[in-house]
Parts: sequence; C-alpha cells; structure tokens
Amino acid sequence: MPSAIQEATPAERNGTELHRPSRALRYLTLVMAAVLLLGIGWTAATLVSDRAPGDDSAEAGFARDMSRHHAQAVEMAMIAYAKAQNPAIRQMGYDMALTQQAQIGHMQRWLQEWELLPTGSRPAMEWMPDAVPVGPDGLMPGMATREEITQLHEAQGVEVDRLFIKLMIDHHLGGVHMADGVLKVSDRPEVVRLAEASKQAQQKEINELRRMTPADG
Amino acid sequence: MSISTPGGPERRPTVVSTGKKPAAGRPAAGAKATGAKAGPGKAGSAQRAGGGKGPRKPITPVKVSQGRSWGPIALFVAVGVLAASIIGFGAWATFKGSQSWEDKAADIAGIVNYRQDDPDSLTYESHQAGKIEYKYSPPVGGAHNNAWQRCLGDVYDAPIAAEHAVHSMEHGAVWLTYRPDLPAADVEKLASVIRGNDFMLMSPYEGLDAAVSLQAWGYQLKVDSADDPRIKEFVTTLAQNASIEPGVPCSSGNYTTGTGTEPRELAPPTGG
Repeated sequence: MPSAIQEATPAERNGTELHRPSRALRYLTLVMAAVLLLGIGWTAATLVSDRAPGDDSAEAGFARDMSRHHAQAVEMAMIAYAKAQNPAIRQMGYDMALTQQAQIGHMQRWLQEWELLPTGSRPAMEWMPDAVPVGPDGLMPGMATREEITQLHEAQGVEVDRLFIKLMIDHHLGGVHMADGVLKVSDRPEVVRLAEASKQAQQKEINELRRMTPADG
Repeated sequence: MSISTPGGPERRPTVVSTGKKPAAGRPAAGAKATGAKAGPGKAGSAQRAGGGKGPRKPITPVKVSQGRSWGPIALFVAVGVLAASIIGFGAWATFKGSQSWEDKAADIAGIVNYRQDDPDSLTYESHQAGKIEYKYSPPVGGAHNNAWQRCLGDVYDAPIAAEHAVHSMEHGAVWLTYRPDLPAADVEKLASVIRGNDFMLMSPYEGLDAAVSLQAWGYQLKVDSADDPRIKEFVTTLAQNASIEPGVPCSSGNYTTGTGTEPRELAPPTGG
C-alpha cells in the first residue's frame, strides 16, 4: 500500500521511465472510466425510464381496453343525446360522447407513438393488477350486453332515460375500476393524467346520474 | 505503466491506510496537521509526508509491474463492448420501429393489396343509397351506403349487407366473412378472434370461394381453414390502421341482421 502511494505521485519523485507513461495512461484510464460510467448510466436510463411501454404493458392494455370501453359509452351517450326526455340527460349525453370519443383519440395516439398496434394479442383486462378474466361475451366490467344496448336503441320516451341512467352508472363504475387499475401500476404522465381525469369525471357523473330521475326537467 | 493503474484506483484505499498509520506508531503531530486541513487535501499531503518514511515499501512496485495492463485493458474492452451494444441496440430498435403496419401487412403471405393493384376500385364520389354492384366478392372498398354496420367486435350470425360493411371498412374495420356451411366449432374459433374487439365484425357470406375471407379497406386475404394463424395476424395488423378516416367510430350504425344482404337506411333517432 504505501509503496503504491509513492509510485502514485511520480512527479514529485523525479520519477523513472516507469512513471511517465503511467501518468498518461492513468488519465486515459480515468477518461475511459468516465465514459464507461456515462455509457452505463445512459443505457440504464434509456432502458428503464425513457422506454415506451411495450405490447404487454399495463399502459398499452389500458389504452386498448379503455378505448373499447369508451366506444360503447359513446354509443349509449349518443342515444341519450338524441332521445332522452330529461334535457339534463340529453346534455350529459352530448358531454360524455364528445369527451370519451376525444379520449379514444388520445389513447390511440399513444399507441401510435409507442409503435404498437391498436389491437393487442393478449386477452382484455389481463394487464389489470387484480386481473378479472373477461367472460366469453368479451365484455369488460360495467359494459352493457348487446341485448341491453339494443333495448336502449329501441326504447322510447321515459324508458330511454331510465335505461340510460341504469346502464351508464354500471358502465362508469367499470370505467373507474379500470382507471384505478392502471393508476396502481403506471407512472407514465400522459396515462396518469387521462386516467385521473376520466376517473374524477366519471365519479361525479355517477353522483349526478343517481340524483337524476327520468321524468324531471 | 502498470503502476499507474493500481495507483489510480487504489489511491483512496491508501488514504485509509494513512489514517491508520498515526494510530499505529507515529506522532499525532503530523496527522493532526494534515487532518486539520480540508478533507480533500488530506490525502495528498499525507502521502507526501509518508513518502519519505518507509524504506521497506519499495518492494511492492515490483509486484505491481507484473499485474500491469489488465486494468486498462479490461476498461477498454468494457467501453468497447458498451459502445457496440448501444449502437447495436439503437440500430435494432430503429429497424424494428420502422416497420409500419403497411410493411407488416405486406409480410402476410397471400394478402392482396388492392390499394396498389386496383386503386380505381376503391374510389367513389359520395354515399350511395340502395344496392351497389361490387367488382370483388366480398367487396374490399368503394361506394357504400350512408349507414355503416356496427363494428365493435360484433359477431353477426346471419348475412349482412355489403353496402353497410364496406362503410365499416372505410372506418377502419376488418370484416371477417365465412362460408355458411362451416362447422359450428370453426365459426366459434373465428368468433373468438373477433368478439369484443373494436373495429372488427364478422358474418357468414353466401357463395364464398374460400372457407374464410378477411377484408379491410383495400386489402383481402382468403384462407381455407379457421385455424390459419394468418387470420389473427390480418385482424390485428389492419383493424383501425386501415381506416381512411382516422378517428371515426365503429359504434352505432346498423346493428341487426334483420334485412339480410338487403341494405337499409337508418331512420334518424327521434327525440321526445
């Protein structure tokens, strides 16, 4: 050890031939070490933090599944907009349809930026932290059956309001559940922002829908 | 040369050892003097001070010279490997990312690309009411009715009007058609690919010249088995991507099979 000390400070010792090259090499070595550390740091940062979500990621699963979930809500909201008796429900239908269709656009844009296909290869909702298997009907939590949507299409008068309130409360509960799922596992800013916003809006709308009655207004 | 390598990294350890020295034997005076100064300066001054001391120490340099170049060599190799892997990863990622959905579609064996082969068959002036004659069967694009067929993963168990399905394809849907005499088990296999997936729909199709025919706007693939892996490849690659009106929905539209292949106009929804 002490000897290392002596050799390590060649300049002061009027060093022999041995010392001079060692100095140049030492600087080069230090530079190389710095390059190595920077390289490792950069690679790690790229791989870990900056990398776009992959095909099986929760973010991609959320973007795909929430797009489908929203698409059905848009259909229901447009029926309510056109046919509900209560003007407040028609107004809400307009709001929901445009908001959710726009959010579908946001989520599809993410998938494009992440260079992923709009359609995943894994079953719906498999990415959820507490994954609930989707039944053979392919319906995610809260979604209405084909028959229920047909009923809503064919309903007239106050029946439209009544059915819409019932189906949309369930639909929103499912939507909030899914948003909670992605918020548990993701910290992608764009995903967190949309999931938070959509969750809060839907919780408020659930409260409003519960207060609404088919006939009033 | 060799000396430098151990010298460089081992400098810090030497600092530690310097600290020990005073405790072991020598006067606290020297140690205090250096210790009183700033931390960083300590190492250097301690070394210099100690430099004069030990006569026995020179022994070690010999050893050191033997171990020589391994440190730098290892470092150079590590840097080289790192550089190569970064470049390699970058090149791979760029190549992989550069594969567009069109490239992926072109890679599906047997797919026909009418956007290239017969673009005229896909042009139309405006929405057209009633029955329309199509050049290809099943049609892959072109004129269509005002109403589209709902394509939120809808599995229709009876024939539908192509005039509506073509409109769905314009919205980006993949339309899976199958020969009506296909065994129920095969139909179920096909349904499991389509059901619940946005921008997809399926229906039986009379007079089909293959067991299964898949259509997206300007694309077609005919296969002879419901087990063909290209079915899934086609639907996942083209659904939504093949839209020529990006952002348009598959919700609503016609959702029944009531009129068979006879197109029907939708009555506008009436408010109360």
